[in-house]
Parts: sequence; C-alpha cells; structure tokens
Amino acid sequence: MEMLVGGLLEILQPQTLLLICAGTLVGVLVGALPGLSSSMAVALLLPFTIYLDPIPAIAMLAALYCAGTFGGSITAILINAPGAPPAAATAFDGYPLAKNGQAGRALGMAAASSVAGGVFSLFVLIFAAPFLATIAYRFGPPEYFALTVFGLSMLASISGKSAIKNLIGGAFGVLIATVGVDLTTGVERFTFGVPELYEGISFIPVLIGLFAMAELLDQAGQKDRPLERFAMSALKLPTVDDFKRVWKTILRSSGIGTFVGILPAEGSTVAAMIGYNEAKRWSKNKENFGKGELEGVAGPEAANNAATGGAMVPTLALGIPGSATAAVILGGLQIHGLRPGPYLFENQPNLLYAIFFAMLLANFVFLAFGLVGARYFSRISLIPRQFLWPAVFCLCVVGAFGVGQSLNDVYIMLIAGFIGYFLNRAGFSPAPIIMGLVLGHLVENSLAQSMILFDQDAWKFFTRPIAVFFFILAVVSIFSTPIGRLIKSRKREEADRLAHGNE
Amino acid sequence: MTFLKSAAIAATTLALMAGQGLANDFPSQPVEVVTHASAGGGTDTTARTMLIRARRELGTDAFVQIKKGGGGTVAMSYVSGKPADGHTLMAITPTHLITMARGRAPISVDEIKGVVRSTDDPIILVVSKSSGITSFEDLKAAGEKAPIKWGGTQAGGIDHIAAITFSNKSGVKIAYVPFDGGGAMVTNLMGGNIQAAGLNYGEAVDGIESGDFIPLAVMATKRLSALPDTPTLAELGVEDVNFSTVRGIVVMADTPDERVAALEEKLLKAMNHGTYQAYLEGIGLDNTSIGGAEEWDEQIRSMYANIYQTLGDLGLRK
Repeated sequence: MEMLVGGLLEILQPQTLLLICAGTLVGVLVGALPGLSSSMAVALLLPFTIYLDPIPAIAMLAALYCAGTFGGSITAILINAPGAPPAAATAFDGYPLAKNGQAGRALGMAAASSVAGGVFSLFVLIFAAPFLATIAYRFGPPEYFALTVFGLSMLASISGKSAIKNLIGGAFGVLIATVGVDLTTGVERFTFGVPELYEGISFIPVLIGLFAMAELLDQAGQKDRPLERFAMSALKLPTVDDFKRVWKTILRSSGIGTFVGILPAEGSTVAAMIGYNEAKRWSKNKENFGKGELEGVAGPEAANNAATGGAMVPTLALGIPGSATAAVILGGLQIHGLRPGPYLFENQPNLLYAIFFAMLLANFVFLAFGLVGARYFSRISLIPRQFLWPAVFCLCVVGAFGVGQSLNDVYIMLIAGFIGYFLNRAGFSPAPIIMGLVLGHLVENSLAQSMILFDQDAWKFFTRPIAVFFFILAVVSIFSTPIGRLIKSRKREEADRLAHGNE
Repeated sequence: MTFLKSAAIAATTLALMAGQGLANDFPSQPVEVVTHASAGGGTDTTARTMLIRARRELGTDAFVQIKKGGGGTVAMSYVSGKPADGHTLMAITPTHLITMARGRAPISVDEIKGVVRSTDDPIILVVSKSSGITSFEDLKAAGEKAPIKWGGTQAGGIDHIAAITFSNKSGVKIAYVPFDGGGAMVTNLMGGNIQAAGLNYGEAVDGIESGDFIPLAVMATKRLSALPDTPTLAELGVEDVNFSTVRGIVVMADTPDERVAALEEKLLKAMNHGTYQAYLEGIGLDNTSIGGAEEWDEQIRSMYANIYQTLGDLGLRK
C-alpha cells in the first residue's frame, strides 16, 4: 500500500505528468500514422530519455506504448489504413461502419474498449508481476536458461508471417548478440579486429535501423496512394444499448489480450486477431461481421490494448520482453541502469506502481484526446511523405548517435536499416530479430553459467523444478503451432466437404 | 622537433625557476579527460565529479571526452595521438591494463604515467551464509575438496584475474562463474547458486548487514575502514593478491614532469573538496581512495604485473 502511494507520488510530479501526456499524444499520433509504429517511436525516443530520471523516462515510454495501440484504430476506421499492425483487425468492421456513416460510433467503441482492455490488463499487471517476482527469487542461471528457451520458442508465432522465417530471423538476432568479447570465456567473436566491436553491437542502433530506417526505405519506394477519408463530426461514446451488446466481447477480449500479452514475444497484433476471431465465434450476429459489426471493433481493440499491460508483466518481473515494444522498453530500463527481473521490485519498489499509474493515466488521456481530437488525428495521414520521412531520418541518426555518442553506432544503424529493408522485402519481420538480439546474450550466458554450476553435467537441469516447467512449456509451444495448423486444415477439409455436400 | 621540445622544456624550466611562471602558463587551453565508458557509468561519473572543482583549481575549462570501445582501445589511441602537453588526460581502470596485457592496445603500460588515483574500491572475498562456510579456514578446507563456485564479472576481466590469482596463491580451487554485473552476482550469492564472490563494498554491504553474506578477507594492503574486523589476505598468509576496482588519471609518459606535478597538485586539491568527498561517501568509499602520482603509478605497475602473469596462465594473452 505504501509502495502504491509511493508510485502514485512519483507520477504526480508536474514534469512526469507532462511527459506522460506528451508520450500519450506522440503515441496516438504515431499510432495513427501508417508506417510509424509504437515500437519505432519508443526506439526513437529512448536515446532522449537518458537525460531524464528513470521513472519519468519509463513512464513516458509506457504511456506511448499504450496510446500507440489505440492510435492505430483511428486510421484503421476512417481510411481503412491501420496505423499500426495491431489495428489491422479493427479495420475489418470499423471501416464498413465508417462507410455507413457511423465513423463516430465506431471510433467511440474503439476508444471505450481500448480503455476497458487496457485497464483490465493493468490490474492483472499490478497483481501478477509482484507475485511472479516473489517466486522469481528462486531464479538462477538454470531457470533463466529454461525461461529464455521458452521465450525463443514463441518466436515462430510472433508475427503473422511465416513461422520458419521468424525462426531464421530469431537465429539471426542471436547471432548478432554473439559479436564481441564472450562473457563466459573472454574470447573475442566476430570482431574482425575492429576495436569498436569488442564490446558487442549495441541494441539501440540495430533497433532503430530495423524498425525506423528500414520502414523509411520501404516507404521511399512506394507511390503516393490517394486515400478516401470519411467525414466525422465527433466521436460518440457507446450508448447503454451498445454496451449491453458488447460487454461480453470486451471482457472476453480483455482476458485473451492480457494472457497473450503475458506470453513472451506475443504482442498486440496476435492478441487483436484472436480477439476478433473469438468475438465472431461467440457472437449472435456472425453474419454481420465484416459488414460493420460493433463487436468486431470492440473485440480486437479491447484485446490489443489489454496485451500492452500483459506484455509488461514478464518484461518487468522476469526481464523477458512480452512484445516487440516491450523489448524496446526493456532496453530502456537497462540504459537507465535498472536490471529488470525479480530484484527490480526489491531495489525500485516504486517503479512498478509508477509504471502502472503511468499506463493507467495514459489510457484516460488518450480517451480524452480521442474524444476531442480524433477528427484532427486522422489528418496526420495527410502529411506529405516528403516532409515526414526526412524528419524520421534525422531522428534515426540522432537517436543512434545519442546513446553511445559514437559514429559507429550510426553506421550500425544504417547497416541494420539496409539489412532490415531487404529482409522485409524477403518476408522477414524485424520483431523476431530484435527478440533474438535481446534474448541471445541471456540464453547463451545462462547456459554457460549453468554448466559451470552443474559441473558440466546437463542432466542436473532436471533437479530444478522451475527450469523443467519452462522446458515443458517450450516443447508445448513448439509443437502446438504445427498441431494447431493440422487441426485447422482438418476442419477446413471438413467444412469443404460439408459445403460440397450441400451442393 | 626534438630541438623544439627540449627548447620548450628548457624554457618552461627557466620559467619555473623564475618563480610563478609555469603556474600561469599551464594549463593554457581546456583540459580534456578521455574516458572509455558510457555517460552515466562509474568512470564517467567519477571523472565528472572530480572536474566540478578541478575547473576552478586548474583555472581553465575541463570536460569529459567519451571515446568508447575496445576495452579502452579507442580512448588509448585517441590520447596517444594528442600532444603530450598535459592537456589531455585519460581516466583508466584495470580494463585498460588488461587490454594492454592482452596485446590489443595501441600503447604499452610503459607509455603512460600515473597522475592521481580517484577511486580505489578493493575486492572483498565474500561467502554466503547458506554455503556453510564461516571462516577462511572453512573456505580452504572446502576448496581443497571441490572447487568453490565463485562468482564474478566478465571472464578475462579484473574479477576473474583476481579470483584466479587468489586460487593460485592460496591453493583454494575455484570454478569461476561469470555474471554480467554486480547485481546478478549478489542475487546468485543470496540465492545459493554460488558459494563465494569477489564483491565491492557497495555491492556487499546490504548482505553483510543482513547477515546473509560473510566477508572473509579484503584484497588490499590495508583493512577497510568500513570493515575493521575483516583481515587482508596478506594477514591470512596469502601475499600479493591486491585487486580493486580502481580508477585514476594518467597522461602519456613523455608529458613534462612539472606539468604532471602541477596536475597532481590541482587534482588532489579538487578531490579533497567536499563535493568529491560526498561522492566517495555515497558510493561507500572514503578519502583513502585518493592517491598521489607516486602511489598510483606504483599500483598501476604492480597490478599490471599480476594481470600479465594471470592472463598468461589463463591462455588469454597473445
């Protein structure tokens, strides 16, 4: 309770409040802009937060993360161009609603269910994270190794693209993490005699390169596409009748989103897709989905915002990122000298509550922004590319330079950008690479440490119950994807047969 | 060039003899302190805190120049490329000496000269209460039977070298477990994953006060004022195992001696001011951290000798 108040007091500083509002505003804006994502915005902002105290800095980034997820729905509904991948499912029914002249109602529903999902997941965060942290006291190298293996096993399904490509991307990230002097042997690896590489490749330049620079290059190659925008006079909060219709969907999606968010590596996009599918499955108006069904907006929006709070649970409690953006925030914590994990709450008791309140506040601030300004936010997509992207490029360079004050980091950022561009074109997404880079050190070092502790006897992993538990989860997660696919294809065959039978 | 240099030295010597001359001539331009680590880290903060008062003492502007990378390699090549006129200082740590000993540095230890030591944080041999070891004798007895699981930082780093040097000289067998920071070492010692660790006072103090950690010995020539009951390793019969997280200022060896002396005097004055003293206290150290040119230079050389020897034993030296 004392810590709760402590965290609240941390947030109630004028500077921190201002930063949270700023983070929320930036979040809604970049969320609304197709191409700019919240992970990219957090990556770009991160170097500038070094000059802040840890709590205001992390509060701002967390607020941005929350708001970015909501921002995507604005353009998804109004112009059928999801501002961010998690809002893709929102466009399925949001855009048809806008076409029917109900843009305000759709956006109002999106805002209300976002807030509901976000708040739900934050309460889970506040209870689950310290609980996880208490059992996490028993986390030594063997437990971390098993946990990281589980985290990496989730890579296959981290984004909607090909599972095998995600695994290749993850392996590439782990490979980047091996550059430099090895922690456990002191041997140089992949440094090619370049002194700047002895200490490894820093995380931030790679991140900025893969997320921002690569997208910039991609956008530079695209033609301007005229967008049809729907007029909207004001955002309408859902009526009591609307609520009666969707409250079950919101509740279900909040639960799904939080759970999916907690799973390492699974982010808002997956949560939104599942949220949409489940909303459809349980709905009484299935046939209306895709034509402008309110539940089809509430389902994905509650889920994707719930995933933000959920993703922060493993990030803060275990140091294992719950999503791509959470991975960036994790990097931010480390830059501020905070070591995420069970001891974070011991050393920084106010931090968890400060983050909790920051995200809670962000939920209501973006609701206010949405009510007042959704109409204006949608105009952001009208900013000419020739002004937007050069500005992003400047931020990329400054951001990469800022952390280590080293030009080498700028070169690394540019190289990562070009690699990311070609990988994107080849169907790889940047998230698994980042996840591999973040978890690469941990998986390797914890294995090497465990082996020393176990006198080089790998069977001793089985004497550690927590480690065994995560190994089992990893095996399940690896095999559940192909099995899931098999079941799906069986069902499809069955459906096809039935369909043919009816002919 | 040599003529000019000797002429310059002659001129400055004359000026010195003339009285206040040198003090007015040096420093004639801003002084830079070159560091190898990120802004906000220990080395950076130490240098910046020292410079707060040093600016006034030196009568000129002074700033921290970060040249990150390669275990100090980048910083060392930058400094060696600047004129050795006392305006370019380098903040060094054992990392630089290790880089030199591994043959990766652009300069050798003979090419630098100590000016002042700014922090000296000796490594303390700490065991966890749950290990069942309560005294140095216990540790020796246990270490003869099976290797002690000993936590430290980066393999090939100063903690590793300290642990192996200790093992070689005491006969206690060690299995060295590298962690990526002091925090991880402390938590794994607390959780019973490792039995012993070489910790700095600041890292160990909470555990010592709560009774979870037992400090067995200090790897220094003198006992710590904060731990008056903990003996040095030499007192326990293990000689010449002195290792610390030490930071200090050096210049290139061909910097004129009068300038080194002037820098030493002014930087010592700056560090004896309350601002720097408060900083030392904040990180769990005291005034004994600060050392003059002679003491510091000697320490650099004795540490280097130990590092060189142990890296050879570990096969990490070229």
